[in-house]
Amino acid sequence: MESDVLLEMQGITKTFPGVKALDSASLRVSRGEIHGLVGENGAGKSTIIKVLAGVYQRDSGSVRINGKQPEPLTPASVHDAGVRFIHQELHLVPHFTVAESVFMGQELAGAFGLKRRLMRERAETFLKEALQANIPGNALIRDLGVAERKLVQIARALVDGKASLVVFDEPTAPLDSGESEQVFTAIRQLKSRGISMIYVSHYLAEITALCDSVTVFRNGSTVSVLEQVEANSTDTIIQAMVGRDIDALYPEKSHAVGGAFFSVGGLTDGQRLQPLDLTINRGEIMGVAGLIGSGREEFIDTLYGVRAAHAGSISLAGNVVNIRSPSEAVAAGIVLVPRDRRHDGLVLDMAVSDNINLATLEAVSVAGLEHRRKATERADDIAATLDIRPRNVNAVARYFSGGNQQKVVLARWLITQSRLFILDEPTVGVDIGAKVEIYQLVENLVAEGASVLVSSSDPGELLGLCDRIAVMYRGALVDVLEHDELSMDNLISMTTAGIPRAAEA
Amino acid sequence: MAVAPAAIFLLLLVYLGVTAPNLLELSTLSLILQQSIPTAIVCMGLASVVMAGGDDVVSGGIDLSIPATAVLAAAIIADQLVNHGSGLAVALMLGMGAALLMGVLNAVLVVTIGMTPLLATLASSVAAVGITKVVTSSRRINVDHPLIVFLRDAQFHGISVAVLLTAMLALIFYVALHRTRWGMHLQAVGGSRDAAEVSGISPKRLMAHSFLIAAVAGALASVFLLARGSGSTPGSEENLLLEMVLATFLGAAFSPRRVVTLWGAVLGAVLVSLLSVGFKSIGVDVFWTGCIKGALILLVVASAAYSNKQRR
Amino acid sequence: MSDSESVKARMIGPHGLLVRYGFVILIAAFFVFFSLYTSSFLNSENLMNIVEGSAILLILALAMTLIVTMGGIDLSVGIALDFGAAFAIVAMKDYGVAWYFAVLIALVGGSLIGLLNAFLVVKLSVSPFMATLGTFFIGSSVQRIFTNGGGPISFRRVDQSYRDLAVGDVYGIPSEVIIAAVVLLLYFIVLERSIIGKRMHAIGLQQSAAAIAGIKVKHYLFFGFIVASATCAIGGVIGSANLRMFTPLAGYSYLLDAIAAVFIGAAIHPLGRPNVPGTLIGVLFLGMVANGLNLMGLDFNTKDALSGIILVLTLALAVMQKRLR
Repeated sequence: MESDVLLEMQGITKTFPGVKALDSASLRVSRGEIHGLVGENGAGKSTIIKVLAGVYQRDSGSVRINGKQPEPLTPASVHDAGVRFIHQELHLVPHFTVAESVFMGQELAGAFGLKRRLMRERAETFLKEALQANIPGNALIRDLGVAERKLVQIARALVDGKASLVVFDEPTAPLDSGESEQVFTAIRQLKSRGISMIYVSHYLAEITALCDSVTVFRNGSTVSVLEQVEANSTDTIIQAMVGRDIDALYPEKSHAVGGAFFSVGGLTDGQRLQPLDLTINRGEIMGVAGLIGSGREEFIDTLYGVRAAHAGSISLAGNVVNIRSPSEAVAAGIVLVPRDRRHDGLVLDMAVSDNINLATLEAVSVAGLEHRRKATERADDIAATLDIRPRNVNAVARYFSGGNQQKVVLARWLITQSRLFILDEPTVGVDIGAKVEIYQLVENLVAEGASVLVSSSDPGELLGLCDRIAVMYRGALVDVLEHDELSMDNLISMTTAGIPRAAEA
Repeated sequence: MAVAPAAIFLLLLVYLGVTAPNLLELSTLSLILQQSIPTAIVCMGLASVVMAGGDDVVSGGIDLSIPATAVLAAAIIADQLVNHGSGLAVALMLGMGAALLMGVLNAVLVVTIGMTPLLATLASSVAAVGITKVVTSSRRINVDHPLIVFLRDAQFHGISVAVLLTAMLALIFYVALHRTRWGMHLQAVGGSRDAAEVSGISPKRLMAHSFLIAAVAGALASVFLLARGSGSTPGSEENLLLEMVLATFLGAAFSPRRVVTLWGAVLGAVLVSLLSVGFKSIGVDVFWTGCIKGALILLVVASAAYSNKQRR
Repeated sequence: MSDSESVKARMIGPHGLLVRYGFVILIAAFFVFFSLYTSSFLNSENLMNIVEGSAILLILALAMTLIVTMGGIDLSVGIALDFGAAFAIVAMKDYGVAWYFAVLIALVGGSLIGLLNAFLVVKLSVSPFMATLGTFFIGSSVQRIFTNGGGPISFRRVDQSYRDLAVGDVYGIPSEVIIAAVVLLLYFIVLERSIIGKRMHAIGLQQSAAAIAGIKVKHYLFFGFIVASATCAIGGVIGSANLRMFTPLAGYSYLLDAIAAVFIGAAIHPLGRPNVPGTLIGVLFLGMVANGLNLMGLDFNTKDALSGIILVLTLALAVMQKRLR
């Protein structure tokens, strides 16, 4: 019996100790469609995907694939039912060839060992016909671009020809727009071959461009299902995701901007980053916009001494400062809230109080020995100010939520007398409530006279927060958008095309 | 930069070839091959473990106990043949059985208990050395059993039978590791444990296999150790360990993908032996040879670290 | 430091007890066994012997604790010990240096090993394991070259003051125990109580995060390796003072015990971290086992084999205990 519905998940509930991750959520995918799945972080998207994958066992609810109920739902039984997962991580071996990677775990072999030529031919054919990509089968993965690696990952999941439903989890997250297009082409080609897809993404533009219908999650439940998606559905989706007006996210820009405070001249890493000049004023929030690969990350890293500067100068309040390592940056009063919080921001297995005091241990020591009560009190004070929860600074940082972890990193720098705060992707993986608090903190910082540099991939965040925005494109700073030029259209056209606004006019 | 160790190695060889002209004569080359056999075989074992565990020495796959395993098995076989008058079959069975137990021990320590391979195999090698001392009372045992003498002296059309056997063994290892599904799975696990897991491969099982294979290599090497030394010599594991690590990671510098491979490891073993014999023939003190090998290890890993840094 | 609630929850019940006290039970079992099996184990004199016999191992294990705390490992602790001993004995024998200068020269000799490690790890980015393994091989060869194959260099007429560093006593407490206790106290203060130690723990737990927080990671690693090796040289001074000779490659026998002591110590720490008190317990445990096996009258080879096996089992138990948390 062929019905229209390929996947039917109903009343799915999943509870973790202390948290109800899914509360009677549902998800329904029709045959041959691309179905978008959106929601804020923590809304339950990845949990329901993991339930479908058989990684988590649901507490209640039913799952039907192709009209059948595979019981129990295990990774193997789901695979047999024709469901494939394209994880966010590539899961490829750098020194394997394309053919070896496509057939990893499903090698073709005969009595005389591996059929290497056959595997190479099949891999190349599949990539060409099903994904419209010309990639040589004997190329090494480490020599491929990120988009090509993504296609290899997709080919691995689908090459056996038994897939009927493919789940994509943020497939374009590490890609720039040209590379993303390569992946979209492949996805459309798959659709034309009758394969259904679930497409999980934060990029709503992708959702509206690619998907036939969309399910929106919030707080572990399905809050909205759009059967028909059009280019202007974005607003409706955002409303459903957030459940409140987005303008309320950002604080009133009420601070006064002073004179020039920080400037870089001709800064370059000698590699990707072209020589760059930028000046930030006292009490100013400067944004840095740019796609992945625009040199935004390299700029921040070089500024903070994580990457070696090849040439250029940095001056702070008129004095030239030499920054060859993060410790020199910190000593100069420049601090960084890094983009990879769990890797670079926090020592996850240290207590919150240790993480807060880590950069200013002298202040909580007597003759080089740690004064524990002082350390705890100091951490506790700032934790109370920032409303870090749970309010136990002796607990290990690993078990805190993303938003609270980010507040811990911020707390560490707030207690220093730093003058330039660099925030790199400050709200990635942070829930809405904490986002609002972090934005308010930034506003308070500049109101007190500090300068802030915010690097972000979220144009809304930059526009809502910053006084001016520096735009980077292909390794170079192309222009700085002044206060009266801040608009979504300007920002998007400049980040995606790299046209300085004078040439545009 | 990744080829720097290979380049320096070749320079050393050219230097030896010029200063010791007889080095490249056929008889010397045959001696070099024969000398390299035990190292080559333990290298095959280590290559399997590294391929399954990844080439990060600390968190990845490494088995430092293969040389100690080989020496233990050699001691047991020698002791059985000479001091207990056992037959060849019994002696081999006991020696190789002990080696396999070492493999099981490593597999349990690493896979079941979750010790890092480094710590586990370091500890198990200490245990193996201790047991070897009990077996041999820290004394050398001369063996003149016909099989051992045969492996030492026999020739087939002018080529050492032992060398031929080792070449066959290398071929078997090569086919298993590089030409079968199982071998690809093993390499997938070493390349990326997560990638292997999402492809339906069980990393734990394959890592356990790799330690067992390493133990088999140790067991086989023991017989050739006995042949090379005409008996069992306690304490010979340290030099074997040095040569094994050097040869296996040097071999990676010679492989097209710059990773540890079976042929790379075997080639590395032959080159290291060439180096040892070469230095000896131009009159370099044997202790200096150890020092030079240590420096070479550092060169190999330093240049690997450097090229890793560049790639990022 | 306090445990998180979930950790506490799992510590309750018979299974939790075993996890938490597995090691204490093991120590007690060995203690009872040796007390019953040998008549000479359980008396104050022998217990003091254990402490005294553990002094050098404790010093090396503390050095190892420092390196493991910073996320590395040091396979060359034995070499640094050897170099310390060699430099001191040769300085006194061939150059007639005063004994206290000889001690300083020993520290310099050990530091050379640390300097090589530091250079390889910090400047060339070689992993600590490989770097110190290379140093181990080179250091061993250098000793063989220097001594023509490993013969000891003895100096019978060594200054009595130097000798007393090992065999002397202060109010009845053996001086090597006092030296080890001082080193222990210093390491405890630095690693467990000072802000330097806090930074070292941060480096060991998450190097990149420590760097972003402004900690001079390379600086700490560099001097960490040097301090660790210099510490090992103190062990070399005690050893050479005791025997009045430099015995090449003597340090090797401590290597695995030092590693084991650190891992045992980490296993009994609530968060599974290497720590100074834990290392002390690990050292005393290993010392007790060595002493007990001795008293059982086993021959040298059997004792070696048994202690090797006990080492494997102990480490396995230590790691298992850590994993179960």
